[in-house]
Amino acid sequence: MPDLNAIRTEAKRLLAEGVVDVVVAFKAGETPLHPQPAFFRSADEVDQLVYDGLCQNNLATFLTRVPKQSKVGMVVRGCENRSVNALVVEKQKNRADLFLIGVPCEGILDWQKIVGEVGETVKSVKENGQNLMIETKAGYQLLERHDFLHESCKRCIHPNPMSADILIGEALQEGDPNLARTAVETFEDQTIEDRYAWFQKEAERCIRCYACRQACPMCYCEECFVDHIEPRWSESGATPAGMQGWHIVRAFHQTGRCTSCGACERACPMDIKMTYLTEKLNHDMREKYNFEPGLDAQTQPPFAAVTLDDKNRFSV
Amino acid sequence: MNLILEKQALQDLLQSWRQNYDVYLPQKLERFSHFMPLTETSVLVTDEPHNTRIPPKSLFLPMTEALVKFTRYGGYEDARHEIQPRIVFGIRPCDAQAVQLLDTSFIQDEYTDPLWLERREKTITIGLGCHEPCLNGFCTTVGYGPFNKADLDAILTDMGDVYLVETFSQAGDACFQGLPVAAEETYQEALAVQHSAHDQMPVAFETENLKEKLEQNFKNNYWDEVSQSCLGCGVCTFLCPTCFCFDIVDETQRRERVRNWDSCMFRTYSLEASGHNPRPSRVERTRQRISHKFVYWLDQVNQIGCTGCGRCVRYCPVGLDIRSMLRQAHSLPFEVSHAI
Repeated sequence: MPDLNAIRTEAKRLLAEGVVDVVVAFKAGETPLHPQPAFFRSADEVDQLVYDGLCQNNLATFLTRVPKQSKVGMVVRGCENRSVNALVVEKQKNRADLFLIGVPCEGILDWQKIVGEVGETVKSVKENGQNLMIETKAGYQLLERHDFLHESCKRCIHPNPMSADILIGEALQEGDPNLARTAVETFEDQTIEDRYAWFQKEAERCIRCYACRQACPMCYCEECFVDHIEPRWSESGATPAGMQGWHIVRAFHQTGRCTSCGACERACPMDIKMTYLTEKLNHDMREKYNFEPGLDAQTQPPFAAVTLDDKNRFSV
Repeated sequence: MNLILEKQALQDLLQSWRQNYDVYLPQKLERFSHFMPLTETSVLVTDEPHNTRIPPKSLFLPMTEALVKFTRYGGYEDARHEIQPRIVFGIRPCDAQAVQLLDTSFIQDEYTDPLWLERREKTITIGLGCHEPCLNGFCTTVGYGPFNKADLDAILTDMGDVYLVETFSQAGDACFQGLPVAAEETYQEALAVQHSAHDQMPVAFETENLKEKLEQNFKNNYWDEVSQSCLGCGVCTFLCPTCFCFDIVDETQRRERVRNWDSCMFRTYSLEASGHNPRPSRVERTRQRISHKFVYWLDQVNQIGCTGCGRCVRYCPVGLDIRSMLRQAHSLPFEVSHAI
């Protein structure tokens, strides 16, 4: 875990010296399991800043929600840094207006897995290397950290922020690229009928609350396709067609843009698996175009890039 | 009537109800429990230390339902299905209370919703009190409690090997016909369990003058602060047992007019045909959600429109907690209004 004091010191400096107008990070929530995204606008507020493995949101999602001219500091992990890069590529923010405080990420903890193991009365969670020390009403319990990670974090390839303005803590070893395929493989190894049954089972649990969309930094459209009324582009209700349509089109809109952060699955109140779809698209992007979203802040995603000498005619 | 039900006998009793009723009870679905129809192989979930994820309001107001089916040449026909008599078993007191609150909206003389009314009339609700109150809930703070009895035909109190069953209606009596009557002593023990559960719940926030504070601070920066990290998703409202907003949409390809759950947290919720939106940002939308529950419900039916089930607290993806939002509201300035 990176040194919290070092993060605070840097955040304070940015605000005190006027480098940024706001620092986007986390603050403690009502319980240790739910830290909240927070916006610090002056140095003396920064003592409330926290950072731990339970900070489950992708903060880059707030980048398109602060005034466009404002200068923003942000605590970023590997995935958040990639999301910021992808947003800069899509001209949602000038990189010059950003100051990224990078922290190498050991993976985000799944609070539901924790309470499933130790019960509801969690008083504190201490992270110590590969261990978790959980304090509950019944006493202390030592857990293996890795077992309580979110699935998307277990297969993370790039835990380190690659283009932060300052890195706090030691860079971690890069993840195994073969692991990135695990979600896709479990899906692809099945017969076509089983795949459809899986997709139906996942998609049709949906309640159309759009937490996945709202949690996703890349879903910043002013008007989402499901909200369009004239003409209506998708079925509105919680019907099989409506729910399947939402999940498949949402995934397709992420082609070459999804940074595999898993914020969609973490936000979903119905535990719907979604990353097997986006990971498949990411895999195809790597395989066919040698492209990974967000690795830098310049390269256009293959499906967004247009050149005048394109061999293929642009057609709709 | 106060009766004794052996826990071992519960499964047979539930199955026996299936002869005359569709029975719904909480069962495991993925990592949570969900009200689903009882089958021969159903396993009832009673040991979860919290509520079902989707509130049982969905049994009375489904997420999506067809109201009207259009026929050729401008005609239409009723798309409703007939509903069988039902028993909802294992409903928690907060959720039962919520259904009663929703009656005040859906059952109003000439504005009564026939779909809601039919489902209500054909449903027997049997509650399961919370002898170990959940940590996210705050039912006592908003005036209800872990053994709140409103709108229940019967309620069960867990007493180890047995349940004490209290029945409050003829329908409730009929469900538990033939069970032995509880001794006065056992009933007193059950009351002790109920009181202890009630006493275990801390006061989550002050409700005195809360309405006035929220009302008088309609334009306070407080709303900017508490809505800052809101993602604008529908988790809090869709999982809320008292949120009942819906949207009516013509699904032209299916030739149906449908009613879907809607959420005041959505951009499209108050978007007008002109393009103007009187609630243009998350600030106004958050204010609406909180004010509806803690101001407007009070204006309309003199009851707080929140039963303290704690779902919005537990499942908010950014950890926004209505309890701390309302604790913060406690320090808002206000003047006592003296009605003449």
